[in-house]
Amino acid sequence: MATVTRLYRQQIFRPSYILSRHLAEDTEFRVLNLKTTRSQPVQRKKLKKPDVLPPRSYQMPVDQDWGSVWPGPRSFHPATVPLPIRQGYVDKGAPPGKYGNAELMKIPNFLHLTPPVIKRQCEALKRFCTPWPRGLETDSKCEDHFPVEVASSNYCYSSPSIRDPMARIVTVKVKLSRIPLDEHAKDKFLRLVGDRYNESTDMLTIVTDRCPLRKQNYDYAMYLLTALFHESWRVEAWEKLKSEADMEYYDWKVSASKKSIETLFGKEHTDITHADTYSQTVDALMNEGESEYSVTKYGEAVRQMLQLPQ
Amino acid sequence: MSLLAIKNAVQIFAFRNSQVQRCIHTTAICHKVQSGRYRVTPKKDFPLTYEMANPPHRIAHRKSWNSWNTSNLQGGPRPSETAIEDLFIRKFVTGTWHSLFVSEIIIKRQHNIIRIAGIIRQTLYPRKMYFLIGYTEELLSFWLQCPVKLELQTVTDKRDVIFKYI
Repeated sequence: MATVTRLYRQQIFRPSYILSRHLAEDTEFRVLNLKTTRSQPVQRKKLKKPDVLPPRSYQMPVDQDWGSVWPGPRSFHPATVPLPIRQGYVDKGAPPGKYGNAELMKIPNFLHLTPPVIKRQCEALKRFCTPWPRGLETDSKCEDHFPVEVASSNYCYSSPSIRDPMARIVTVKVKLSRIPLDEHAKDKFLRLVGDRYNESTDMLTIVTDRCPLRKQNYDYAMYLLTALFHESWRVEAWEKLKSEADMEYYDWKVSASKKSIETLFGKEHTDITHADTYSQTVDALMNEGESEYSVTKYGEAVRQMLQLPQ
Repeated sequence: MSLLAIKNAVQIFAFRNSQVQRCIHTTAICHKVQSGRYRVTPKKDFPLTYEMANPPHRIAHRKSWNSWNTSNLQGGPRPSETAIEDLFIRKFVTGTWHSLFVSEIIIKRQHNIIRIAGIIRQTLYPRKMYFLIGYTEELLSFWLQCPVKLELQTVTDKRDVIFKYI
């Protein structure tokens, strides 16, 4: 059995005469070694590790300007932060150090917002600021000058889009006492707004969200406010047909009680002494319902007006 | 032969039927909580990083999340898109930095910026590392249409991040 076989290069590669002749001239026959006897061990190239500089924090002076070392928000880097920070939980022993600690890279840090840096940034922003307008020092003064309060929200997300459907909603708030209304107009206004009026704070709140854009919702809210105001001042022809039976509350000034008093005394109710007390007690009796208190008050008022002994 | 065919058909039918009908699992194996937990090896030589050493119920107590975004909050926008993008980023970075990351890939989103953090080994030459950083940032920001930043930390040895052996 031949252990060593000689092969001609021409047979292995290309059957080209020129190439074979050329190769045959300057190279030796290759030897196919079937036995695993290595003539010389192959020198493996040793992997050279790249040179790594020591951490930057070792060379940092104590009085360095930290704002220029860490100018913006960034993940934690142990070689840049010269603090002996540890993070993590170990049952027994110290928490893991800052090198090779992924937990420190996860948590948001505020190393770019140190107090001197904030101060410096505020100083830089100061020249773009304007003084607060005079005469608007307190909230009550602001309310006096700007009675209508318009509120809408912007939403910040960690997503590529800055749009949010909730940003379209516009809330308009105004105090009812700041709207010039008479008794009839106020009554009609309250009927039109319904539960949008808060009686305890005297605040009317209009929320508009039916349009897709904030501008459109704002315009619609302003339109609603204008329409409400003018509609409440308008007196329709059918509103005069309202009789005592249609009243939603007892009004002494249009009642039969007032007429009978005036015929009894033979003069206007404004001229009758103690008529205002009487009218108030009758109003209270009819609107709030009969109770021992209101009935007693009513009796006292009647006796006072008719000058009867108490 | 025909008997065998019938038997096979019956078996297949039964198998399909069982797949349809067996909706409720009552076996104990399903109650076993296994994900994110590692088995102790006989020689106690399986290396664990801090992240691996703490099971998922320790999140927010001993370790924190690997993805930081507002999509997973109540009412947050585009949660599914964010999850898919995070998965894609993880796959891309793992493949691009092949066998270099020794920690989990941390993805933090602030407004439209995506910060990818992690710990890699120091086997790369700085020139190659700079190329890979630029390559990853450029391609990911092109695909995701937002600025992507790679914030890496290097360790000399991959044993530097090992927390314990089990």
